[in-house]
Amino acid sequence: MSDAESTDEFEPVQVFPESEEMDLRPGADDCYKCSTCDSECPVAAVDDEFPGPKFQGPEQWRLKRKDDTETDDSVMSCSNCMRCDSACPSGVPLSQMHNTARGSFVENQMDKLSREYIRNRILSNYGTLAWFGSKVPRLANAVMSSSVVQTVNEKVMGITAEREFPEFAEQTFREWWSERDGATVQSDEKRVAYFHGCYSNYNTPEVGKAMVRVFESFGYEVMVPPQKCSGTPMFANGMLPDARRAAETNVAELSAAIEDGADIIASCTSCSLSLRQEYPELFDLEGIEDVSAHTYEALEYLRIHEDLSGALEESEVDPRKFAYHAPCHARNQGLAGQAIELLDGVEGAEAEDVGDSCSGISGTYGWKEEKYDTSMKIGAEMFHHMEEAEPDAGMTECPTCAMQMEHGTGYEIRHPLEVIAEALVE
Amino acid sequence: MADPVDVLVVGGGSTGCGIARDLAMRGLSVTLVEQGNLTHGTTGRMHGLLHSGGRYAVSDQASARECIEENRVLRDIAGHCVETTGGLFVQLEDDPDEYFEQKLEGCRECDIPAEVLTAEEAREREPYLTREVKRAIAVPDGAVDPFRLCVANAADAVEHGARVETHAPVTDVLVEGGEVIGVEVEHESGPGKRVHTKPGTTEEIRADHVINATGAWAGRVGEMAGVDVEVRPSKGVMMIMNVRQVDTVVNRCRPKGDADIVVPHETTAILGTTDVEVEDPEDYPEERWEVDLMIETLSQLVPILSEARTIRSFWGVRPLYEPPGTGTTDPTDITRDFFLLDHEDRDSLPGMTSIVGGKFTTYRLMAEKISDHVCEKLGVSAACRTAEEPLPGSEDFSVLREYMDEFGLRSPIGRRSVQRLGSRADEVLKTAEPNPVVCDCEAVTRAEIRDAIEGAGSDLNAVRIRTRASMGNCQGGFCCHRMASELHPEYDEETVSAAWDELVQERWKGERHALWGEGLSQAALNYQLHGTTMSLDREPAVADFAAFDSGTETATDGGKSDGD
Repeated sequence: MSDAESTDEFEPVQVFPESEEMDLRPGADDCYKCSTCDSECPVAAVDDEFPGPKFQGPEQWRLKRKDDTETDDSVMSCSNCMRCDSACPSGVPLSQMHNTARGSFVENQMDKLSREYIRNRILSNYGTLAWFGSKVPRLANAVMSSSVVQTVNEKVMGITAEREFPEFAEQTFREWWSERDGATVQSDEKRVAYFHGCYSNYNTPEVGKAMVRVFESFGYEVMVPPQKCSGTPMFANGMLPDARRAAETNVAELSAAIEDGADIIASCTSCSLSLRQEYPELFDLEGIEDVSAHTYEALEYLRIHEDLSGALEESEVDPRKFAYHAPCHARNQGLAGQAIELLDGVEGAEAEDVGDSCSGISGTYGWKEEKYDTSMKIGAEMFHHMEEAEPDAGMTECPTCAMQMEHGTGYEIRHPLEVIAEALVE
Repeated sequence: MADPVDVLVVGGGSTGCGIARDLAMRGLSVTLVEQGNLTHGTTGRMHGLLHSGGRYAVSDQASARECIEENRVLRDIAGHCVETTGGLFVQLEDDPDEYFEQKLEGCRECDIPAEVLTAEEAREREPYLTREVKRAIAVPDGAVDPFRLCVANAADAVEHGARVETHAPVTDVLVEGGEVIGVEVEHESGPGKRVHTKPGTTEEIRADHVINATGAWAGRVGEMAGVDVEVRPSKGVMMIMNVRQVDTVVNRCRPKGDADIVVPHETTAILGTTDVEVEDPEDYPEERWEVDLMIETLSQLVPILSEARTIRSFWGVRPLYEPPGTGTTDPTDITRDFFLLDHEDRDSLPGMTSIVGGKFTTYRLMAEKISDHVCEKLGVSAACRTAEEPLPGSEDFSVLREYMDEFGLRSPIGRRSVQRLGSRADEVLKTAEPNPVVCDCEAVTRAEIRDAIEGAGSDLNAVRIRTRASMGNCQGGFCCHRMASELHPEYDEETVSAAWDELVQERWKGERHALWGEGLSQAALNYQLHGTTMSLDREPAVADFAAFDSGTETATDGGKSDGD
């Protein structure tokens, strides 16, 4: 804890780099053991070996003494879907406890030369991998989709060969953005800074482009500040020093944008959750609370500040039915019903909610060879509901949920922003 | 009638069990009787501080010196009951410098290692200390589990041939020809391990010498023998916090006062205390102001306490004693020293000695002194070995184990189990049977519960103090019934139900004093679970609500349930 700024009230003690001792024991005070978190945990539901969030969080923390650094290895089976956070009726900081315990496990107990560590480090730094891939997208796509490479990935790296590696776009979002010379709308009053994250930059720039078109149609000046990974895959793999480094850049750049009068918007619900919740819970950086308070999911932001529903009433798209899955991380931000409500007003679009189950992929989790089966078991309920809905396409905000939906059902998956853009702009 | 034993010890607290162990190790035949569970009286109702002597370094240097010596002994012989937390005497901005200097000087005079820390150093050690800290003195205070320590002493006494009878209140002291020749006890469920519902019996136990080690109850036993023992019981409240806000013993460095210490205890922190003289050690008001005072005063030292969850409160009675005619009015001024009352010299009543006063940290020394005294009377020349021989569980052990490989336990569960069991871990935890966790909050597995049942009969409160099961976050809401079900099939339904009710009742007793915030939510949830899924709300009522509703009325239990 930095003495100068801290107050005497409970606040998490800084984790890295000065100290590995983040004391979350007082968070256990809020737990009265009701086990709602355990019953909402998608991993515990399909994996009898997994002791569940109550054990991982408040129980494990409460059993610690100051010098106990050992964390049970079961924390690596938590997928960080964070459903326990919204399940808890009593405000126990479950995901903060899990993230911190996982960080401590990786730091203190994981062999840095082990296959698991190297694999997790690579997966959690997807942004770096994608940066290389997107330099030579066609070659990278050809290599990554070769069955030989997939087999090698599985045998050597422990990355499942069951999944198709996501394709890199031939032009990244940022390349497109600079090619078009940035914003076409200038405004001192209405300004947003877009946190595109890794996936809509390298893999689905059409989502980012849709976002820009929609916001510009409402008269917003869009800024695209320099940025690094939001940290979501790093938290899930306990790579807290990596996440912190990325956070230092992001917080500095986004703070500057806020200084310039912008709010932060994200099209990926895990990115927005990370900036909003995990950043202030895990790191003690200048301006981090401010970034958290100014961050929104893109459509949420428009719903707050514009008459989005009104605008959509006049709109029309090609008739299509979508099977919509709300990502767990969207659920945590209270956004689970948003896409359905919006599309209800669009002539031609029909969206059916496929239920509140977890897709099971949880970012990098479902990519791990040993977690693949668990991931698919969790996803089974969603696959079933998607098929029951008999849609033309699937829909979700989360890029990895989209991978899982496509993998489990074969449907093409769209982002709500793409449909909204079609309705409003095209 | 059985042959008389050499020594009969009345009182199964730390002193009594220490005496029984000491004498049994010297080869004497010993019987110990206790009215409730082991630790039922004051031992089970203390804050778990292993004194460095720092607290007495200004006011009572003789006690301070004894404390630091015994502190070192207990670290050696009872490692599995002791946590070497270290302690701090913390001076806040407005606390007197003069007292700080006296404290430091006093520690040095008594050979108590003492180091002055700056405010920054103190807060680095304990980040939740207030920023009003001026400086602190670090001393080797520790935390001790009085339950396990007491039980280990009793177990070792039995190992050396002693007989230990719990739930055996003394109903009379037998005096013949002007000499104490033994006692009459009532075995509540017959001799041997306690079994609920088993009919009681009485027994006369004859002994060459009777030792009255009943602490605050010493006056009562004295009365049965016709002698006056002027114990001045003084109550003090202690409050158990749900988690450890500190990992070091934190004392306020100022002259005596209420609410000036926080002791990290196992998974919790214990706040203490008050000091108010009472008439009757079993019947005194448990008052709200005492509870409020703990939080109000100690949150000046550790501000997070004002927001923190309390899981229960309990009161203990100090067995203070002062020689007749001293006439101290304020109980905080009564000496913490111990006194050996030889009733032959004092009252012309041979055959009995009382030991009164004293404190937990020096229990072994007290036991040694009185054992020396009795041995001299009985013409036994064997020397005391209790300072050198480790207690069962504290023979060389390390908590650094491969819990999953060795015991099949997840690491925090294995770690806590081994911290509790010490060198007995292998014997208790290595089992071919499935070993699920019974108490999640305190990480107690079935194997440990079964081991405790083996030692304690159907008495689940005795199982509780041996294992800590039901002493955590939910206060038994989720595990009392699981503990009870471990009694089956050895014990029948009626016995199991009686034991279960008693445990639930005992848990509720302390929870009543923490019914706000999350503690209230917990109690409500426990009530619903117990009422709706286990029918524990059937008549007769499980909880004695009336006793609580009256506010200042006491709800003590008349010796039926024990400790906190």
